Amino acid sequence: MNRPVENQAAFALSPETTARIDRIVERYPTKASALMPCIWAITDELNHVPPGGVDFLVAKLEVTKARVYEVLSFYTMYRTEPQAEHVLQVCHNISCHIMGARNVIAQMEKRLGIRMGETTPDGKFGLEGAECLGACGHGPVVQLGKHLYEYLDTAKVDDLLENLRKGTVPRADTDRELEA
Amino acid sequence: MAKLTIDGKELEFPDGTSLFDACREARGEALPHFCYHPDLSIAGVCRLCQVEVEGMPKLTIACNTTVRDGMVVHTRSEKVEKAGRQILEMHLINHPVDCPICDQAGECGLQDQYMEFGLYDAKVEMTDKCHKAKAEVIGPQVILDKERCVLCSRCVRFCNEITGTGELGIFNRGDRAEIGTPPGVELDNAYSMNTIDICPVGALTSRDFRFQKRVWMLKMTHAVCPGCATGCNVRVDHEAGRIYRLKPRYNPDVNGRWMCDRGRMTYKAVHDERRLIQPQSKGDGDVPWSEVTAELGTLMGKVGLIVGSPHQTLEEMFLLKKLAAKLGCTSVYGGLAGADTREGDDLLLDADRTPNRRGLALTGLNEIDAAALAAAIAGTEGTILVHGGNPAADSAVSEALAAHGQVVYLGQVANETAAVAEVLLPVATWAEKAGIFVNRQGRLQGFAQAIGRAGAVREDWRVLSELLAGAGDEAAPGSLKAVRELMGSELSPGIDLNKLPARGFVPGGEN
Amino acid sequence: MSGKDLRILSERFGRNDGHKLAVYEQEGGYKALRMVLGGMKPAEVREVVKDSGLRGRGGAGFPTGVKWGFVPADADDVYFMVNADESEPGTFKDRYLLDYDPHQTIEGTIISCFAVNAKLAFIYIRGEFGWLIDRVEKAVEEAYAAGFLGKNILGSGYDLDMIVHKGAGAYICGEETGLINSVEGLKGQPRIKPPFPAVSGFLDKPTIVNNVESVAAVPWIMNNGSAAYAAIGTEKSCGTKLWSVSGPVKKPGVFEVPLGIPFREFFNDYLGGMVDGEELKAVIVGGSSVPVLPAAEIMNCNLDYESLASAGTMLGSGGMILISDRSDMVELIQVLMHFYFDESCGQCTPCREGTGWLHKIVKRLRSGAGTPDDLELLEHVCNGMAGLTICPLADAAVMPMMSFLEKFRPEFEALIQETAPAAPTARWPRGEQE
Repeated sequence: MNRPVENQAAFALSPETTARIDRIVERYPTKASALMPCIWAITDELNHVPPGGVDFLVAKLEVTKARVYEVLSFYTMYRTEPQAEHVLQVCHNISCHIMGARNVIAQMEKRLGIRMGETTPDGKFGLEGAECLGACGHGPVVQLGKHLYEYLDTAKVDDLLENLRKGTVPRADTDRELEA
Repeated sequence: MAKLTIDGKELEFPDGTSLFDACREARGEALPHFCYHPDLSIAGVCRLCQVEVEGMPKLTIACNTTVRDGMVVHTRSEKVEKAGRQILEMHLINHPVDCPICDQAGECGLQDQYMEFGLYDAKVEMTDKCHKAKAEVIGPQVILDKERCVLCSRCVRFCNEITGTGELGIFNRGDRAEIGTPPGVELDNAYSMNTIDICPVGALTSRDFRFQKRVWMLKMTHAVCPGCATGCNVRVDHEAGRIYRLKPRYNPDVNGRWMCDRGRMTYKAVHDERRLIQPQSKGDGDVPWSEVTAELGTLMGKVGLIVGSPHQTLEEMFLLKKLAAKLGCTSVYGGLAGADTREGDDLLLDADRTPNRRGLALTGLNEIDAAALAAAIAGTEGTILVHGGNPAADSAVSEALAAHGQVVYLGQVANETAAVAEVLLPVATWAEKAGIFVNRQGRLQGFAQAIGRAGAVREDWRVLSELLAGAGDEAAPGSLKAVRELMGSELSPGIDLNKLPARGFVPGGEN
Repeated sequence: MSGKDLRILSERFGRNDGHKLAVYEQEGGYKALRMVLGGMKPAEVREVVKDSGLRGRGGAGFPTGVKWGFVPADADDVYFMVNADESEPGTFKDRYLLDYDPHQTIEGTIISCFAVNAKLAFIYIRGEFGWLIDRVEKAVEEAYAAGFLGKNILGSGYDLDMIVHKGAGAYICGEETGLINSVEGLKGQPRIKPPFPAVSGFLDKPTIVNNVESVAAVPWIMNNGSAAYAAIGTEKSCGTKLWSVSGPVKKPGVFEVPLGIPFREFFNDYLGGMVDGEELKAVIVGGSSVPVLPAAEIMNCNLDYESLASAGTMLGSGGMILISDRSDMVELIQVLMHFYFDESCGQCTPCREGTGWLHKIVKRLRSGAGTPDDLELLEHVCNGMAGLTICPLADAAVMPMMSFLEKFRPEFEALIQETAPAAPTARWPRGEQE
């Protein structure tokens, strides 16, 4: 039934993530209900959940493998494959579309040399579409990691990609300067 | 109690009754449905069983509605029929037109509903349909076609709720959703083939039955599974003397709506190529019955030991005991103690892999263990008569029989016991005769003959009765009906054994 | 209070210090909580909120106090969920509330939990708001440290725990039972009702799910009284609403205004009208899942539940998308149909298949392969979806689709006439159909 897949690389989590998972399991009312935050803990460290991670969750939370894969396949932010270094998710929903998302996407495709849904051969950039990201009055927007880059136009796209290529991550619009 | 009006009919139902069941009773047939199943939780996803309940703003699904006093329900109004057609069309909109190559044809929920109330012309282009994996082997017995699946989720619920094994899930969302097993998991629980029964379409089908026979060509006979002491009620599907599959038959007192995979495969033994078709006499090979009778007469003149089997029917056990008495043979046993015992489970499979061990108790036959039997054989004078089973599978017994010789064996296949027999008499398997088995509940269950007997194979009761007549019993019964009458008069089960009810009968129990 | 001064919810919007507990308390924060836990009974709190006329601000507009009353009186294991899954296209107000003023939501949640005897509250924040989730978690920790959460809050004997639960990208988790399933560690698929969440929800226990904007209003209501809240807005649409405004207007963003102000006034005075060179053509007023209104029609409406309903649309989430004359309506509906196709959970057949087909047909129309039958086909598919499903996502797809077709049909027809293929298409003969 729930047998681990043969021949996979050994799965290991950092002590921080392991401790974080233990805290989650303690706080949530049932083990099964801790599934989503545990997947996030693994994803935050590894950017995806490998087969070993699934076996880990099956054992830790006493849920079936089918359940874990159902959840992994249902939610768009969960991944089972390693991801590119920078995954750019551009909103293509209605408000961003009206405000010029198509041009932003075209510019990204041009500069990266890939189409939407693809990853650059060097594994550095992935370009994906996203549905409404909750920034409709600030569009067009792209999500990179946790943050959003807003009010995009072709110039801003170029600026962002140049920075990322150089290895710097420019400050995002959602990364506001806050009082401590 | 709740009084409600369904399609103009006033009916009363106990509180808590599902409107789905109430409508079934009122209409004489169930509402259209896929995802509803009486033994599984309510999913409410197919949307087909929608009915109009006066006072409610929208149509409501009957499966998730409880009857209320004063409810007025319409199941055939224009609104309901229109919705039914629309929802059916939604089911078909991505469904591949596989009917010509799909095993489900003839017993398919989509075909049935379409013929019942669909009959529309499709508006969508074939080329635009969603494409998913087809013919994916997901387990030792089950093959999955993801395109045909209507995502009713019955199979998923079965594996979660009935077997508790949870191999199946529904992955992705929207029209990319698909049933399947996750990586590294097979649908291999002992009841996996029930998912094939409950799948309303040709998404989950049997690997064993795949492409074997069109279902409308099959004849169906009611029988009892011979695989273990549970005695699941089955339906034997056959054509022209060949069995193609077994399906469970509903009996709320025995097996509900399920049976195990192992039980389903018991039909294969009927068509084992090692079947004994002609009587055989050592030295002479195959001989017709007329010739073997003479030799038999000599052998049956002095019988020192008789061994039966818990695989045999109640009628056969009864006649065997009678024969022993008539022959003056006091060493008569019902079979090998502990034979065919494995591990059972919490669901249906019993540890006792014989269908009628309880019949031995009823007819007053005891079992004997292998070592004692081997010793008894050695000390026997005269013929040894073995009816059914395969006691020579035990090496000590086999050696003893071989050394003793003079073995008459009523058997089905060329097994170890057949190998040491002097005279072989080919008799019927459970599918080729009628009879009664007594299951682990002590329930008498009758089964009918499904297919004819090949070659010179005979019914066991007839062979035994002729031996009985040959031993001088003038009242040896001449028909199975007569055997049952005689059995009834001597065993007093409390019921006419020729009129056993479909649900079976427990002597002295609640029926 | 005049419209422009009314800052029930948006007092700290735009600031970079509003998230701090000290600032929030200094400006009156947690005063309501102290008062409520200083001797009020849960039933009294429910009465106040009921009398205030506060309606659910997520989209359904159901009276909040009434919803709280559905929890069985003897229930002891009650859960509360704050719906911050904000994914309705055009809507971004809950983001502002959590970004600029997390403590307001936290205080409102604690009071709401007290009102229904909840022991554990989840704040369900969509995964794409990862950029503000850490800050909300910190605010929750601050609340614990200050004694506003945990055991025996402010010595009242009331215990409440709060967990921030991160979503992972599924619009359908904004449906309350989908949200509950998601917190249970399942796919976020909605449940069939009955049972209703207030009776049987999370782990089959009574559960209340409220939108962020709804609970955020509770502290003000408790501080100022139900009558003061009810006096704002109209008779049936009480209080203020946060309008999320997007599109080519001069001033997009989030605006708090009393319910009932005329659209015309809002459009001209608050938004500054369309940008130069563009004319208003249509408005989707309540998030993409409501019918679209041509400019001429919405100009006569007031921004409240009743006026918009009688105009044939809905207030919904208040996600106002303004469309100018440079936009192609068929192009926009393709974008929307893709959204519902993407987000349908796939459970029930009419929505699963229908959302896929609506997108396919519109895409085909725009690609040049559309035929005159396709417009009827769109209506036919919509009829096979609306009102027949487990949850309203199917209706949410149908309403924009049907309203775009109804109000802007010439744009669809023009597409067909331009691109109708010369040869007849290979289709099966049609029978008698609706």
